[in-house]
Amino acid sequence: MEDIQNSAPGSVPAGKLGARKGADPSQNAAKRLQTELMQLMTSPAPGVSAFPSGDGNLLAWNATIEGPADTPYSGLTFKLSFEFPSNYPYAPPTVLYKTPIYHPNVDFSGRICLDILKDKWTPAYNIQSVLLSLQSLLGEPNNASPLNGEAAELWDKDPALFKGKVMDRHKDIGDD
Amino acid sequence: MAAAVATSSWKSRRRRVYQSVFQTDISQPTPYSTPSARFTEQGQPFGGHLPLSDLDRQLHHASRTLAASPDAAPAARQPPPGQLQTGDGLYRRDAVASSPFAPTATASFASPQPLPTGPRGQQDAAEDQMRYDRAWHVVTSRIVLPASATAEDSFGTLAPDSQYSQGGGQGVSSEAQFYEALGLVVNAPKVLPRAAHTEDILSWHTQQVRKHFAQHVLPLLSACAEGLLDEEDLRDSTGRGSYEKHMIIVMSSVRTLEAAMRLYSYGMQLLVRGIQRVQTVDKENAATDPELVAGRFRRDVHSLVSNSASPQLIRSLRVVLLHLAGNILGVPAQKRGVNGEGEGVRPAPPSDNDLNSLAARKRLLELLDPLYSVGLAGERFQILFAEIMDGIMCDFVKGAYAGVWVASSEKHGLFRGSAVTGPRPIARAVSSPCVVSLSDWVENHYARLAIEVLSRISDDPSQSPVTLSDVKTYQSLALGRLASLRISELFDIVLAWPSSRGALDDLRAAITTPARRLQLTDCFAAQLQRRLLHPGRSTLEILQTYIAMIRTFHALDHSKVLLSRVSPSLQLYLCGREDAVRIVVTGLLASPDEIRAARNERQMREEQEGTPRGGRQARTPQNGAFMTPALPPRRGLRSRHGTPDVEEPGVRDVPPASAASAGGGTHSTKLVELALLMTDPIQSRRAGGADEDADLDWNDLSWLPDPIDAGANYKRPRSEDVIGTLISALGSPDTFIREFQVIVAERLLSDQARFDQEVRVLNLLKKRFGEAALQNCDVMIRDIHDSRRLDGAIRKVQGVKDGGEQPGTPRPAATTPTNPAPRLRAAAPSSPASAGAPYHARILSRLFWPNLEREHFLLPTPVQDQQKDYEQGYEHLKASRKLTWLNQLGQATVELELQDRTVTLDCKTYEATVIYAFQSPDPGPARRTVSDLEEQLQMDDDLISSALSFWVSKGVLSRRGDVYTVLETAASSSSPPSSSPASPTSAEALPPPTESEPAAPAVVVDEKEAQRRAVYWQYIRGMLTNAAATMPLGQMAMMMKMLIADGFPWSNEELQEFLAEKVGEGELEIVGGKYRLVKK
Repeated sequence: MEDIQNSAPGSVPAGKLGARKGADPSQNAAKRLQTELMQLMTSPAPGVSAFPSGDGNLLAWNATIEGPADTPYSGLTFKLSFEFPSNYPYAPPTVLYKTPIYHPNVDFSGRICLDILKDKWTPAYNIQSVLLSLQSLLGEPNNASPLNGEAAELWDKDPALFKGKVMDRHKDIGDD
Repeated sequence: MAAAVATSSWKSRRRRVYQSVFQTDISQPTPYSTPSARFTEQGQPFGGHLPLSDLDRQLHHASRTLAASPDAAPAARQPPPGQLQTGDGLYRRDAVASSPFAPTATASFASPQPLPTGPRGQQDAAEDQMRYDRAWHVVTSRIVLPASATAEDSFGTLAPDSQYSQGGGQGVSSEAQFYEALGLVVNAPKVLPRAAHTEDILSWHTQQVRKHFAQHVLPLLSACAEGLLDEEDLRDSTGRGSYEKHMIIVMSSVRTLEAAMRLYSYGMQLLVRGIQRVQTVDKENAATDPELVAGRFRRDVHSLVSNSASPQLIRSLRVVLLHLAGNILGVPAQKRGVNGEGEGVRPAPPSDNDLNSLAARKRLLELLDPLYSVGLAGERFQILFAEIMDGIMCDFVKGAYAGVWVASSEKHGLFRGSAVTGPRPIARAVSSPCVVSLSDWVENHYARLAIEVLSRISDDPSQSPVTLSDVKTYQSLALGRLASLRISELFDIVLAWPSSRGALDDLRAAITTPARRLQLTDCFAAQLQRRLLHPGRSTLEILQTYIAMIRTFHALDHSKVLLSRVSPSLQLYLCGREDAVRIVVTGLLASPDEIRAARNERQMREEQEGTPRGGRQARTPQNGAFMTPALPPRRGLRSRHGTPDVEEPGVRDVPPASAASAGGGTHSTKLVELALLMTDPIQSRRAGGADEDADLDWNDLSWLPDPIDAGANYKRPRSEDVIGTLISALGSPDTFIREFQVIVAERLLSDQARFDQEVRVLNLLKKRFGEAALQNCDVMIRDIHDSRRLDGAIRKVQGVKDGGEQPGTPRPAATTPTNPAPRLRAAAPSSPASAGAPYHARILSRLFWPNLEREHFLLPTPVQDQQKDYEQGYEHLKASRKLTWLNQLGQATVELELQDRTVTLDCKTYEATVIYAFQSPDPGPARRTVSDLEEQLQMDDDLISSALSFWVSKGVLSRRGDVYTVLETAASSSSPPSSSPASPTSAEALPPPTESEPAAPAVVVDEKEAQRRAVYWQYIRGMLTNAAATMPLGQMAMMMKMLIADGFPWSNEELQEFLAEKVGEGELEIVGGKYRLVKK
């Protein structure tokens, strides 16, 4: 929000004004991600966080979602990986669950079925909105187009069993 | 007998073992002290190697006098020396013994018996052998050494006494007997030709001495050494703390050895005297010179002593010598203790009446004589002494001259006025005070001590141990040491320029060989890399150091060969610093005010330098014997220019910042030195007058041949030429000129009224680079002057129109046909007045100016109108040309009337435009977001943001989220948000602020800092949650630097501190050197 607070007022030199234009697309992506990171940091949303992975590549991030209360996932923590294309934000990032999760819209390899990560993506979305969508998906799965049919069935039929399956499947992964 | 043989074979085995250890192949014919008691057990024949019993048997067989039982033979060998016992089977001996041997001996001398033949001959041989054996016994028992030495002086004093008393008891006759016996022993080949087993009495004595020394003296010596030293002394490798103890060790060892030597030489003297007496009898037989023999013996014993001196003794000797020689030469031993402890005392040549030094000298010389007499002054001692002297020279040079960089005062005084840039006369003949005092020290103290010591321990007193050429060698060695010291200090010398000229004199006197020059450049280049050429140094510091380097090296070596060897790495590094050229150019363009300030400051600094110098001299006498007037104490020096202490390497790296600011003054933002140099008449004259025929100048008395290590294309530079060298270090002149153009363009477009400095620098640069290279700059300056004229003309036309011109503010405004930069002076928000605001332009000739980008945005309507008018006016004057406006480059004066105050500010046109956009006719609050403004002004959002933050910083706008609001009252934070209604009085009708904003800037800073820390904490949490669970500090710092768009200003240390705070708050923990979030 206060993204210009650190720049000294009136400090745009004449030279910079000229040379500012025309960066290559991946630099744009990096710049955008940097800005998004700053946003995430200055106004963090509860229960979600994201950060570039430690290898110095700004196009690969890791994220964490805490399972919302009043859902079977309450109290659990899920790790995700984000991979951004070089033309981000004009194309959606690839998002995967790293933590094994039992969920109607997530398959066993962590792939997610979420429209905004596919055809409904617009550049107006950002990492935070994606994370919040995923968080809400935990409480309200889209059972109409399940990747995990059994889970979709159990969700309505047998919440207790579902919860058990969730707990069975969940396994905290260590880092690295 | 069988038992006796067994015993003797066992004994002989034991002897062989012993001999293998002590290298003794000479027999021990007599027992040590009580011959009668152990005579048979000795198992040695008189002079023979066969076991005694065998010999006896042979003898008895030979003489055929075996009437008596063989058992009597051992008994016969029992009589004490000098006392003859009648025994059966030994009647011949009786006969001999009853009369003194002398007659027999003389008789045999007089008429040598015919060679024995047959049984008779054998009998004679036995007889001779017996006589010889007896004489041998007499002699050896007289000079035998005491067998044991329990106390230090038991053999030192008692033994000779006992021998004398023994001699006294037996009276003159025993003395005579001794000499007789000696005569027999020495002349055995002639007197007793048939005695088969004879031996050299001298070598026997030598051997005896060796054995005695090994068995009795050495243990005593090691007892001397070990008894006194405790663990701590042993650990202390220099042994400085325990000089007294070491002195005691040396003294007691020497005393022990002296006593032993007395004992050994007593026997030797007896022998020598006896031999002399014997030989006076028979002159013809003087084959061996007894003096020669005694000398050989002495050498033998000395080498024995010095070779067997224990390491402990040598160590103690080293400590003692070091201490004494150190005191004599004025290198106080305690100085090297703990850092800073003995700091006050610098080594200095002692004065003639320095009691400490005199006492030490006396002590040392006293010590030397006994050392020499006991043989401890041999080769090892000389090596030791040489090492110590070498160490002392090092210490002296290091201690006395490190950091003493004072030039010879008179000369310095002369040039003080023009010292800043003045050329230094080539002063080859004049040595620096350090060199003078050093060679004086070497000649009068060092060499003197060497002569004194070496002459005392020299075996050949006729030859002087130290020749004049040796002294010269010492001096050149000392100079070499001084050179390496200065070389290691060179970087600090450069930093301290120009107060370090004296050090350069030293160095110049010392670097005379290519090898030393190479050493100098290598060492300096390494220091340069380590201390200057790293990211921790600002470009300004590097450039300042480079200037100092150019000047220092010029003073050191006019040929520039040395500089050219150290500067490439620096030049290469400077190429990586983008701001280098800019700093140089702005330095060149420093205003006269800045130059004056720098000059004043330099004068002040020199005055300050002057005061401690006087004070130092006043203080000198109090510093006692170790100070000489020529050598100021270090402390004064340090206070003068804050040079890093050479002895504290840890500190050394840090000070260049302070040292640079001390050397370059406090004008740390600009390279004002350059402006000073530029205006210096000497510099510019030299730079201008490049004399091609320099080598043909026969009158040049300071001519030198090219340095031996100069490169192939070497061309002798004519002058110091700091600016030229500096500029050439920045790459080609083209780059420099291009950058110069850009900077001059910026300055020409600023609101500066006059450009005298620029014109002056331009003219100076023209001399250097030529007219053509700087033609563009000429045009640029002419543009500015022309536009003033043109502006006046256009204003005249317009002046009729609006009449709002104020002659007092003639701001030139100009545009070129295609590339104009407008200057507007407009009270932007005051719409009624804006029509009358004067509007000026500067007209630039596009082709000659650096490429200026055009930013598009909509000017406020009144200004736009004026711009149109101006354009028309211009086209009226210059019909064929058209103006293109560069709106973002202008300047405006803005007057804002707010509810409680009026703000008048000079600002950029785009800033004025943005604030103008906040003007609204509505009584409601004037709020804008960036995107509002973007739409309204068609301005780039970067520019808008920058303008908004400018106004926020001026306290005109406040920001909440994305919305910017006008702050109608300055102290609005204290006023309730709703209490101030819209002010109808203000022409702009700016709305009152609806929010509170911190008023005090200090609070803002704190809050900002707190915000920043909170954000950083978020980053760290995000990092440790998502990137990796544990991270080391360095990686975190790196990620932060990479990821935070505005840059991460913290150093690793600051980050570490911050993380430590978080650890303290229980948010973080450190596991294995890595940080980790505490799981909750």
